[in-house]
Amino acid sequence: MSTTDSPYEPSPTLRTSTFTCLRCGLSVSALAPGGERRDHCPSCLTSRHVVDQVRGGRSDCGGRMVPVSVAVVRDGAWMLVHRCTLCDELAGSSVSRDDNHLVLMRIAVRPLADPPFPLDLFGEV
Amino acid sequence: MGRRNVRDRRPQRAKTVRHAAGESGSFRCAGCRLEVPLAAPGTSHRNHCPNCLASLHVDRRIPGDRAADCRGRMVALSLSSRPDGEWMLIHRCVRCGELGSNRVAGDDNPRALVRLAVRPLAAASDAVARRVLLRL
Repeated sequence: MSTTDSPYEPSPTLRTSTFTCLRCGLSVSALAPGGERRDHCPSCLTSRHVVDQVRGGRSDCGGRMVPVSVAVVRDGAWMLVHRCTLCDELAGSSVSRDDNHLVLMRIAVRPLADPPFPLDLFGEV
Repeated sequence: MGRRNVRDRRPQRAKTVRHAAGESGSFRCAGCRLEVPLAAPGTSHRNHCPNCLASLHVDRRIPGDRAADCRGRMVALSLSSRPDGEWMLIHRCVRCGELGSNRVAGDDNPRALVRLAVRPLAAASDAVARRVLLRL
């Protein structure tokens, strides 16, 4: 799939702009392969707290946001939930096609790998 | 399994929630209308229904500040796991889309919790999810 099948052409600034990941230092293009704007590193899935989720608009925090969980929205798509390490705010962002599959899967199965109650009880009921 | 029996447990945040006057130690669930007592085993910060895991959007940034005027229903969106193995429930408000998190209580419906935990693995309609599941 190419980026030309998206309904709009991304602006030249979006096509050429990059950002540096706060955790792994990777230089990431701001344009995701789906044609939308990227907000987390595709390698370690770390994001940065720049949008205020409660009031809306810009946030002054600027902290590192770590991925905590994978959620499923209504149409079956995956959504990544980030938590800011400075102010504990939560934010959701959509998963892009070139995100690290290993890290995504690790976050998705982490609750099942260490459950707070024994899961083998479910085999009996 | 051994990680849960650590000696220095994470201390709970001090309870500062002010419940409205006239409330008699229980709340009515916004999802299934179950009358839920505030006392819960395992946590002193119950904010969601143990049957359907729904919550109510009353707090803004600090838990218990009662500063949000949204009052929307918050449905359970996903589960995340703390490093010490405790499950955190992540809610999303159906009115304004804000996210919130709360620790699971001891009497939460385990069937609903496990259904939430396996939901990412069962979602095969998404392109990314299908590719991740096929490659690993």
